Amino acid sequence: MTMTKSLTATKREGSGKGAARKLRRSGRVPAVLYGKDMEPVHLSVDAKEVEHLFHVISVENTVLDLRIDGQKGSHQILVREIQSEPDRPQTPVHIDFLRIQKDVEVDVEIPVNLVGVPVGVRMHGGVLEQIVHELPVRCLPSLIPESIDVDVSGLDLDDSIHVSDMGVVEGVEVTIDPTRTVCLVAAPRVEKEPEPEEGEEAEAEEGAEPERVGEEAEADADED
Amino acid sequence: MLAPKRVKYRKKHKGRMSGKATRGNKVSFGEYGLMAAEPAWVSNRQIEAARVAMTRHIKRGGKVWIRIFPDKPITQKPAETRMGKGKGNPEGWVAVVKPGRIMFELEGIDEQTARRALDLASAKLPIKCRFVARDEQL
Repeated sequence: MTMTKSLTATKREGSGKGAARKLRRSGRVPAVLYGKDMEPVHLSVDAKEVEHLFHVISVENTVLDLRIDGQKGSHQILVREIQSEPDRPQTPVHIDFLRIQKDVEVDVEIPVNLVGVPVGVRMHGGVLEQIVHELPVRCLPSLIPESIDVDVSGLDLDDSIHVSDMGVVEGVEVTIDPTRTVCLVAAPRVEKEPEPEEGEEAEAEEGAEPERVGEEAEADADED
Repeated sequence: MLAPKRVKYRKKHKGRMSGKATRGNKVSFGEYGLMAAEPAWVSNRQIEAARVAMTRHIKRGGKVWIRIFPDKPITQKPAETRMGKGKGNPEGWVAVVKPGRIMFELEGIDEQTARRALDLASAKLPIKCRFVARDEQL
């Protein structure tokens, strides 16, 4: 079970891009809280607080305690979506919170940690490739694992671990294909130094045009 | 060097590079990536130079992904030619890169080596770049 951290939010009045931009300029991030049997609530949270929090916790699978100013009690939530600018991925521009219920299963993604150095890497210079970084699972909020550790120390060259080989706790259902590869040790690829080409040949290769397909190629053929 | 095998048309319009990268803006395959901070045309020669710089630095071990492909033909008029008489001849290939685009990814090496390798790669490119790690992404 993951640790519960708390977050404070304030209800916001305006909606739309104008109000949202105004909020962002004042150091807050627009957010929304939704869940089963409730009307969505428009909120705002402190930008610095969430940025710090998201760097401390595993965002996808941590249950947070959300307190809304002026309301009694708190909501148990999961962060469902974080929107950000493509060139500034660490600065959120909008956050979705999903209110969870104790007895309703939720879909979450659990980080997969590879533990140990594989034999194939240590002895034969292979490369450990991780293909699945987060494992999608469905479980009750109280059973959400913090992370899944996979021991890779026994992997030799060309060995792999599949989703079906991973041990997950009882009550946690993996929702992706069990035959998917989680990680593998690939043989090392040695870069060969190309032999220096003759000047004319190199130029000819660079100037070479690719084959054309479709209408333009047909039109040219007709002209000829 | 990277270039398309088959194309439908030999020449393309210049186009504009407005906006940010809406796709290919996450580190999806490796552990570390090189993100473009500016828009630019990145030629296949520059991509190749960056790849060589990276692979030479990481030597054995590690895997490199190239997330951009030069599929746009660039034309040029011959020297000492008067203007007009149509568009020039295709002379090379470029990839259109917008801010936020992850251009290269690395895996199987430690962060320090990855930073240095991507730093060497960014020196071969015509734009400012930023190092990004998968676990820093929200």
